[in-house]
Amino acid sequence: MSRIDPIPVTLISDPAKLVPLDRDTALIRLPANSGHGHADGEICIACSGITDVRALLYNLLEEHRRNMRPAFSRVVVDASAVADSSQVVAALTGKLPAQALRDHTVARMFYLAG
Amino acid sequence: MSPSPDQISDTPIIPDWQEVRTALARAMEERILILDGAMGTMIQRLSLTEENFQGERFRDWSHPLKGNNDLLVLTEPKMIEDIHLEYYLAGADIVETNTFSATSVAQADYACEEAVYDINYHGVLCARRAAIRAEETDGRRRFVAGALGPTNKTSSMSTDVNSPGHRAISFDELVEAYGEAIRGLVDAGADLLLFETITDTLNTKAGIFAAQRLFEERGIDVPIMISGTITDLSGRTLSGQTPTAFWYSIRHSNPITIGLNCALGADLMRDHISELSSVADTFICAYPNAGLPNEMGAYDETPEQMAGQLETFASEGLLNIVGGCCGSTPDHIRAIAETAARYAPRKVPSADRLLRLSGLEPFTLTKDIPFVNIGERTNVTGSARFRKLITAGDYTAALDVARDQVANGAQVIDINMDEGLIDSQQVMIEFLNLLAAEPDIAKVPLMIDSSKWEVIEAGLKCVQGKALVNSISLKEGEEAFIHHARLVKAYGAAVVVMAFDETGQADTKARKVEICTRAYKILTEVVGLPPEDIIFDPNVFAVATGIEEHNNYGVDFIEATKEITDSLPHVHISGGISNLSFSFRGNEPVREAMHAVFLYYAIQNGMDMGIVNAGQLAVYETIDKELRDACEDVILNRRADSTDRMLDLAERYKGQGGGAGKAKDMSWRELPVGERITHALVNGVTEFIEADTEEARQTFERPLHVIEGPLMAGMNVVGDLFGSGKMFLPQVVKSARVMKQAVAYLMPFMEAEKDANGDAAGRKSAGKVLMATVKGDVHDIGKNIVGVVLSCNNYEIIDLGVMVPTQKILDTAKAENVDIIGLSGLITPSLDEMVHVASEMEREGFDIPLLIGGATTSRVHTAVKIHPRYARGQAVHVNDASRAVGVVSNLLSDETKSTFIEQVRAEYAKAAAAHERAESEKRRLPLEAARSNAFKPDWTGYTPPAPSFLGTRSFTEFDLSELARYIDWTPFFQTWELKGRYPAILDDEKQGEAARALWADAQKMLRQIIDEKWFAPKAVLGFWPANAVGDDVRLFADDDRQSELATFFTLRQQLSKRDGKPNMALSDFVAPVDSGKRDYVGGFVVTAGIEEVAIAERFERANDDYSSILVKALADRFAEAMAEYMHERVRKDYWGYAPDEALSPDELVGEPYQGIRPAPGYPAQPDHTEKTTLFRLLDAENSVGVSLTESYAMWPGSSVSGIYLSHPDSYYFGVAKVERDQVLDYAQRKDMDVKEVERWLAPILNYIPGRVAAE
Repeated sequence: MSRIDPIPVTLISDPAKLVPLDRDTALIRLPANSGHGHADGEICIACSGITDVRALLYNLLEEHRRNMRPAFSRVVVDASAVADSSQVVAALTGKLPAQALRDHTVARMFYLAG
Repeated sequence: MSPSPDQISDTPIIPDWQEVRTALARAMEERILILDGAMGTMIQRLSLTEENFQGERFRDWSHPLKGNNDLLVLTEPKMIEDIHLEYYLAGADIVETNTFSATSVAQADYACEEAVYDINYHGVLCARRAAIRAEETDGRRRFVAGALGPTNKTSSMSTDVNSPGHRAISFDELVEAYGEAIRGLVDAGADLLLFETITDTLNTKAGIFAAQRLFEERGIDVPIMISGTITDLSGRTLSGQTPTAFWYSIRHSNPITIGLNCALGADLMRDHISELSSVADTFICAYPNAGLPNEMGAYDETPEQMAGQLETFASEGLLNIVGGCCGSTPDHIRAIAETAARYAPRKVPSADRLLRLSGLEPFTLTKDIPFVNIGERTNVTGSARFRKLITAGDYTAALDVARDQVANGAQVIDINMDEGLIDSQQVMIEFLNLLAAEPDIAKVPLMIDSSKWEVIEAGLKCVQGKALVNSISLKEGEEAFIHHARLVKAYGAAVVVMAFDETGQADTKARKVEICTRAYKILTEVVGLPPEDIIFDPNVFAVATGIEEHNNYGVDFIEATKEITDSLPHVHISGGISNLSFSFRGNEPVREAMHAVFLYYAIQNGMDMGIVNAGQLAVYETIDKELRDACEDVILNRRADSTDRMLDLAERYKGQGGGAGKAKDMSWRELPVGERITHALVNGVTEFIEADTEEARQTFERPLHVIEGPLMAGMNVVGDLFGSGKMFLPQVVKSARVMKQAVAYLMPFMEAEKDANGDAAGRKSAGKVLMATVKGDVHDIGKNIVGVVLSCNNYEIIDLGVMVPTQKILDTAKAENVDIIGLSGLITPSLDEMVHVASEMEREGFDIPLLIGGATTSRVHTAVKIHPRYARGQAVHVNDASRAVGVVSNLLSDETKSTFIEQVRAEYAKAAAAHERAESEKRRLPLEAARSNAFKPDWTGYTPPAPSFLGTRSFTEFDLSELARYIDWTPFFQTWELKGRYPAILDDEKQGEAARALWADAQKMLRQIIDEKWFAPKAVLGFWPANAVGDDVRLFADDDRQSELATFFTLRQQLSKRDGKPNMALSDFVAPVDSGKRDYVGGFVVTAGIEEVAIAERFERANDDYSSILVKALADRFAEAMAEYMHERVRKDYWGYAPDEALSPDELVGEPYQGIRPAPGYPAQPDHTEKTTLFRLLDAENSVGVSLTESYAMWPGSSVSGIYLSHPDSYYFGVAKVERDQVLDYAQRKDMDVKEVERWLAPILNYIPGRVAAE
């Protein structure tokens, strides 16, 4: 991984309060759930790949590495569909247990702004 | 509750696993077999309640059990059996037992650990009953795979991103947990074991270890299936491995299938299955999830869609087994089975017997790689630097060593922690765990190196990749050898085997071959280790030792290598090369040549691996023919007198510091002019430069072309040699002198040309660099050296000199449109000044890079204090001239700039985080507690000595040659970035040549300084009656001690001390007022004088930076020598408490005498503002002409000040960080504003001022 700027991540949980985006900003929309119909609080590893903000942030880096998206210096995460955004905050502040080596990379490359 | 099955058979059917393996293999060659689909999805559809999960057995359980699906094999066995049956009837050949979470680790969430064995056992029985019913229905044989999930913990990664070395579970605990589950599955007669949804390869390796141990106990061999998971775009497993690296890591389990499951859908799995299919010489199994679910909570993929996607797998011949994971149902499996039936199965490729290792990425030793360089610098026995870092516990820097090796191309890195002072086993574990979290290091395979088996074993339990073990041998007999080899195999590693047996180390060819052959036989026939995983080390021994028996050692090794690799198929040969030249220690050119010649022959004969320092290998072809012949004579034992001849020859190369040897002669004068200029530049010869420049000028069209042509070409050579550590700073500065003189010679021609055609086109520089020593600071040697080195590399330097105000720096930067700004400073207040410059640059909209350098600057300070203030541009800490060129060229290159800045930022983020952690972990005491633990000498039996006079006295007459005897030369060499102690530095292998030349120049100038009285040193001393009052030292006007004259305020250590050590303050060394003792303190300011400033400028004007820097460095040494000399006079005469002291100037360097002379602004009293008191008392400005700048630097710069303390127990300590309570107290005592105190003590505050104030 060559790109190592610590990148600020802004979290939005209120859909009425969207922030303006610009060309340096990458946007992630967190889905309400994976759709696999797991019981509450349960999730399979593949579903984490869709719903865990860390996996999505890691994919942003990977997309950039593969020239699938332009460079970005800011990320906005729209978590308004997520019932409990405290999990997202926990994931972005290193409080949610890491599930994969990529979570360590994400912890070093991104930080929750504000 | 559903009705219980009519009859539950508790007598399991135990299969013949060999027959199962054969039957499956045969079937997989004929058609694509079908695995079942999701169990969870089917259970979900049953809408079960808590009662279903509890059953009888778990009635009123302490934890809610709903969701613990695995329990249903005990509480609702018929339901599970029926789901299995549905899958079998939909077309599945194999179903997985409902035991995914049935390990003690995962069941702990439900407090169901005790049920683990039963769940696994009954899980198989449920599936088996369904298999029998299915077979009765259609007559087709069905198989039961015992499912083993990943557990919910990871052993190769930390779950805490803030503590990457932490592990929630160990390998041993996992072996235990998997062992229990596997016993249940095997006891109930599972046909296969399926490790699935692997999130951490190391967990699975523990599972494999447990399985194989059980198999060995029972003499069985249950086929194993392995299935990993890839869920993100990077195509890596969750523990970070590529598919191939993952395959190499688990290949030792000899799995019947390897594959993937769970992923985000079939289409996203294809590339990874394709990769596995091409590398794995076993069957492939794929069972993805049923596609991406939609946001309505249902599955997008219908059975037809999923089957359609998997059809591409089948049509490309990627599949041997296919099935479904989350979201798939019997309908999906039916559709998949129908599709798969139309395609032929994948043919299992054969894999060459090559050494295949892995970290996060794979490494395959193919024929294209003639020789594997194993990085040796992370070996405490081989690298003094690494040993120091490890014993000091500096893992961050130790990881950087590993990172550098990988960045420099090491294909494997050797990790060795065999050091007597540390707990090697624990350190091995800690280091490997931390290393695992660094993807840029962990990507390469590791060599786990120890002479202690338990350290190796501990290391093997930490790595998910396939590692190399170094080493095992027959030294302790076959039993121990077999035991270790079996474990190597069980941990999935390759191994280095030393040619060592019960009778000793093999020295002759016959013994080497004999031992290796015996070991090979045992390893391949008894242990079953693949021969390609065996690396023999036939022992490299020293040759040319003068002992006749040693003469053939080189031949023995080379010939044994040939015979071993010829007769023992697939093995590899390695060795520690440096032993060979042991008798030529200290003669690097000869050693390098010997190593190169040895490898040249050994590699031809089959050696393909070695622990070497790749940077120190000579190239065979470039070695002097004479030396090469001599090496060959010795290594190949070609003549009886080869050792004697080698010894004679070696003398000539001694002390040349590596590289090819060359004798000094004038033959270079015969070369073409361009090469002569290069030679003059590299060797710093000014003698002929004007003549050569003139000759060049006549051959070029314009004088400018001489600069851009031969002169720059020569400087590029200098730059390269310096960059690669083959030239040292004094030599480069001399090169610059040659360059400047050549340019100066050309200047009139260029002016004339300009006048003639009005053409202003000047020389094109590589970039403009503004350099300045910040406001309040006067030290510039380091800055000047960096300037010279940069100008050598064609940068244009605008040097604003010393004490430069911020505004002047910024205005000049704008006016001159510079590309980069470099700031320098030596005293601690300059650190704040640099922060100020950075903030101003930010405010004024600058975005050019900012370089930070100077003695008190540090990477951490730059990272924590300067970098955050300058977000538009980038601040970079560069503390030695040798790095400056690389940094500047990276920062000014469009290509490398962004990558370089990214690296710097990452480094700073890490440094800042590490700093914060380190600081928060240091426990500091409240001031009161520190004071109560003060140093308290016994004053009752002590009478402080009285000085011979009170008040001040000035001195102006000094004998410069007498003072010169007091010079401590070690710091002089440090100024020039030659690292080592004087006089040993003069004989240093690498730097000796440069050091001796510098020494000779310094002595020559020193003679001139003395003879021509270049300097006029001055000194002022004072003594005053004094007593300690708390942490202060009160000075009195006279010995009545009634009227106070002044106070020296001191700071106290607040670090929490161990072993009863006191918390020191300088006041502890002065008798307290209430002791009734009449104590005294002294003070001094000495200076080498203002003269050096003018002399240095004169040299600069003469284009002689070398002499300019030299004279400044010598003036500094004179000031320090003055301080040492005056201190001796004080002890013997003026204070007179040590009249009989008889130490030579050389001995004074170690400060073995009584009393100290601490300086304000240095560790024992970090507050520079205390100098004001000292200077006032001594009237220093009038008495010796030394004044203080606004940052409390002394002007002229070559000056030293301090206070004298006489107590026999006094010593130099560091106050280190202080807390806010002391700062408040200190401010009150000193009657200073708290903010003002915080400003001057900023570098030592253990808190962030603003943050605390806000509380």
